Amino acid sequence: MILHTLSAAPDTPAFQHCLAQLQAADALLLMGNGVYAALVGAPAGQALGKACANLYVLDDDARTAGVAAQLGAGVTPVDFDGFVALSERYQRQIAWY
Amino acid sequence: MLGPEAFDREGFLRNLQDWSPSVAEQIARAEGIELGEGHWEILHLLRDYYAQFDSSPAMRPLVKYCAAKLGADKGKSLYLLSLFPGSPAKLGSKIAGLPKPENCL
Amino acid sequence: MSTPTPRLLLVTRSAPYGASLARSALDTALAAAAFDRAPGLLFLGEGVLQLLPAQDAAASQTRNHGKVLDSLPLYDVSQLYVDATALTHYGLQAMALPAAAQLVDAAAIRALLEGCEQILSF
Repeated sequence: MILHTLSAAPDTPAFQHCLAQLQAADALLLMGNGVYAALVGAPAGQALGKACANLYVLDDDARTAGVAAQLGAGVTPVDFDGFVALSERYQRQIAWY
Repeated sequence: MLGPEAFDREGFLRNLQDWSPSVAEQIARAEGIELGEGHWEILHLLRDYYAQFDSSPAMRPLVKYCAAKLGADKGKSLYLLSLFPGSPAKLGSKIAGLPKPENCL
Repeated sequence: MSTPTPRLLLVTRSAPYGASLARSALDTALAAAAFDRAPGLLFLGEGVLQLLPAQDAAASQTRNHGKVLDSLPLYDVSQLYVDATALTHYGLQAMALPAAAQLVDAAAIRALLEGCEQILSF
C-alpha cells in the first residue's frame, strides 16, 4: 500500500507514471496542478478512479484552482491534517510532480 | 606563486586551470605538508579520478579507487591519512587543484 | 529481483541537463552512500536519458552527469534499475547500460516501490 501524491496536470509524464503504478489498495492525493484530474467528468480522473478507489484532493489547492465546486464523485477533499493522517496510514509515500 | 585571489575561502583553487606542480607545493606548504613521492602518487590519482568522473571523490570511493589502481596496501584509509592527515579526500583534492568533494564528511 | 530491494529508493525522472533535478538525485545518492545508506536508483521515464553514453558537457560548462554516474560503483551504489518501457519509448533498447543496471517493467517497479522503506522522487 502506497500513498501517491500527484501534483502534475493530467497531460504530463508524471501523471502517466503515477497512473501506471497506482493500485486498488493505494491512496492518491491530488494537489497543486494535480487537482485538475479531480474535475467531474475529466477522463483523467476516471482513469485514476478505475485504478484506485481512495482518491483525495487537497482542499486548499482545489479551491485555489477553482475546481472545488466541481469535484468528481469519489474524490474526497482533505485539509493538511487529513494529509498528515494519510501519511500516517500509509507506510510508503511517493511524490509525482 | 599564486596570489590569495586565486583561492576561495577554504583554500581551494578557484580556477582549475591555474594548477601546476608548483601550485600544489604552495598549497601543501600552506597546509603544513611536505610533498613526497607518496603524496604525488595520490595527487596524480586524484586528478585521474577527476578526469574520469568529473567530480572529486569522497573518502570511500577514494579508498576503493586507490586499491584498484595502486594495490590493496595503498587502498586503505590509514595509508591516506598518513599522507593527508584529517580528511584525505578533502585535503588531497585541495592540493591536487580540484574542487572540494561535495559529499565529504 | 536478483538483489534485495534497497531500503532507500531514489526515483529519478528527469533528463540530466536543463534542470537540476537529475543532479540532485545523483548528489543525494552519493551523500546517502557516504552515510552508509547506499540507495537504489530507479531511472524512470525521461530519467533513462541520464544513461546515454558519450555525454560531453564541456561545451555547456556543466558537470558531466554521465561521468559522475560512472563513479556510483565506487560509492557502493550498485542497485540501478532502468525503466524498460522508457528505453523503448526513446528508441534506446540497444543502449549499453551500467554493469549493475537491471531492466524493470511496471510490475518490477511496483515490487521495488513496495519493497523499500522510503522513496524519494526527483
